[in-house]
Amino acid sequence: MKDPLALARRLDAVDYLVDDGLAMALFLALKLGKPLLLEGEPGVGKTTAAKALARALDTPLIRLQCYEGLTAGEALYEWNYQRQLLAIRLAEAQHTPLTDADLFSAEFLQERPILRAVRHPGPVPPVLLIDEIDRADDEFEALLLEFLGEAGITIPELGTYTASTPPVVVLTSNRSRELHDALRRRCLYHWIEYPQPGRAAEIVRRAVPGAAEPLIRTATEFVGGVRGLELDKAPGMAEVIDWVAALSVLGATDLAADDARWTIGAIAKTPDDRAAVATALGTHQESQL
Amino acid sequence: MTAVLRGTDRAAFAVALADRLRHAGVPAGLTQVDDLVRALAVNPPVQLSTLYWMARISLVRRHEHLATFDRVFAAVFAEAPPLPLTRSAVPPGRRDDVHVPVPSSSADPGPGGGLPWVTLPPAVAEAAASEAALRLPERRPAALAGLADRPFEELDAEQVAQLGDALRQAVANWPTRRSRRHVVSPTGRRVALRPTMARARRTGWEPVEVVRERPVRRARRVVLLCDVSESMRAQAAAYLHLMRAFATVADAEVFAFGTRLSRLTAVLRQSSPVEAVEQAGAAVTDRFGGTRIATNLRALLASRHGDALRGAVVVIGSDGWDSDPASELAAAMARLRRRAHRIVWLNPRAGTPGFVPRVAGMAAALPYCDGLLPAATFQDLMDAARQLQSVTWTAGLKWPALTPAPRIIA
Repeated sequence: MKDPLALARRLDAVDYLVDDGLAMALFLALKLGKPLLLEGEPGVGKTTAAKALARALDTPLIRLQCYEGLTAGEALYEWNYQRQLLAIRLAEAQHTPLTDADLFSAEFLQERPILRAVRHPGPVPPVLLIDEIDRADDEFEALLLEFLGEAGITIPELGTYTASTPPVVVLTSNRSRELHDALRRRCLYHWIEYPQPGRAAEIVRRAVPGAAEPLIRTATEFVGGVRGLELDKAPGMAEVIDWVAALSVLGATDLAADDARWTIGAIAKTPDDRAAVATALGTHQESQL
Repeated sequence: MTAVLRGTDRAAFAVALADRLRHAGVPAGLTQVDDLVRALAVNPPVQLSTLYWMARISLVRRHEHLATFDRVFAAVFAEAPPLPLTRSAVPPGRRDDVHVPVPSSSADPGPGGGLPWVTLPPAVAEAAASEAALRLPERRPAALAGLADRPFEELDAEQVAQLGDALRQAVANWPTRRSRRHVVSPTGRRVALRPTMARARRTGWEPVEVVRERPVRRARRVVLLCDVSESMRAQAAAYLHLMRAFATVADAEVFAFGTRLSRLTAVLRQSSPVEAVEQAGAAVTDRFGGTRIATNLRALLASRHGDALRGAVVVIGSDGWDSDPASELAAAMARLRRRAHRIVWLNPRAGTPGFVPRVAGMAAALPYCDGLLPAATFQDLMDAARQLQSVTWTAGLKWPALTPAPRIIA
């Protein structure tokens, strides 16, 4: 893969459409071997980008979903206490001497996503998706720094594991919390915008193959307008896809008021938003007439 | 296709851009610079958009900084207006890295304004990867000169405005006329009697020192008439700028005409070019309609501005498509010819190879013109502005050597 265009074509082949910016971001992440931090409004396809990249490279996707209270034991590695205890018992029964080095060896190590990514044999590097990093605690961010900087993990008892083929790391954040500068510095950064109406229609077309063409066009245009309203949660691409899928299940071929009212829950997720979108839908219908 | 940053020191470029960003408030550190340099090495950008994404992804780490980055990037890479003529016009601020003074086009130019990473701009274009024969690269025009050579249809509004400014500077060498007054000058031919006598007082009324005088030359009035009909739609905006250049730089009367004549001298003399051109556009109500050259010429001759034509250089910018009969145009031109000093016709189609003035209006008007100049690009307009002087001086022979059919309707 020699330029972003080639990567964009590969992603296109797995039904993920990228614009120039995202293609360049993913391309640089691959070529420079640096983690890529993706930010953007919810539902613009941050997580999907990582999944599509894994599919395009034909390599496993290792996913680490972050949440509050996520610890090193769940993200990096853990010692298998049960097996260690069993080993001690066995050694006692067989009267064989047992040292620390025997107990803390690779066979008692339980790989968690990050260590698994580091120890991936290759030759194609795996894609490690660290999803919604803003949900994890500050401490966890600090824990990641070594891995993000050097693609390695230090286990005190065993030494440092360094990846033979550094994994492609994609971090996503919804900006519910500011990330630390140290983390940002180690990553390339890309802000994903909502796609343009034409591209959005193309994305929906790929995602919902059965949907009628006029429906896709009017629905994406309408949601583009809805994003301009003061909503609690602006509908992203995922919501548009859900909505169009719902409408086409109902057999709609164009955006009609009745069907749209019934399925409005797909794009408006709070009572206030529902009201706002319903009003917008009314005016939209009038302007169409 | 040529690379964007050909012959550029990547490291110097990245450092300078990051430096500029830091001054604008984006914390772009060494890690980011390192990323950009490596990115540039991995995939040398071919288009400006590629470079934009590359720089943005590797230098910016926060969403809040994107707007600032866009501004800085645009200030550096957007097409810059022409270079200031005076050194003092270089924007103030840091001068340490300013080698090539290129003022930025944004409202706030920010510190510095140059492109410090440019070692020497390549003067020749890259040889096109031609599959056929061996080809030598062609010399590149300067940005503005390149623009000036393009037909009006291919320019956007901002470029037209830029070239309009350049045009104003090109309107020099204004045609002059000899006035009846004289001024003391060592190059004069005539002996100035009064100053000579005054000097003679010092030498016992012996005129030892002879003072000479020469006639004063004043700017000759120029009257510019521009066609803004449908057939001249592509040229209309550029001609508005030509009219403004004439109206502001010197004492010229400017008119636009389609089906009726509108005087734009007062409107176009405003100091703000944008407002002037906008208001002029609004003042011309018959834009992009038909053309009645003969009627409008008659109206001008009969109007109270008809006196401005006396002894003036009349410049008519039109393609010669006229809905009035050609005989009427010939008559009006004959009248104009008698009143004006010189008539120059600017025709946007005259520059095309193999141009023959076959249009009835053009053919009828041509015998009365002292010159027919092409006016399809800004370069043509600048040349025309420069030639007004020489047109005035080529007294005697008329061009082309056709004898006009005499019609006395004065």
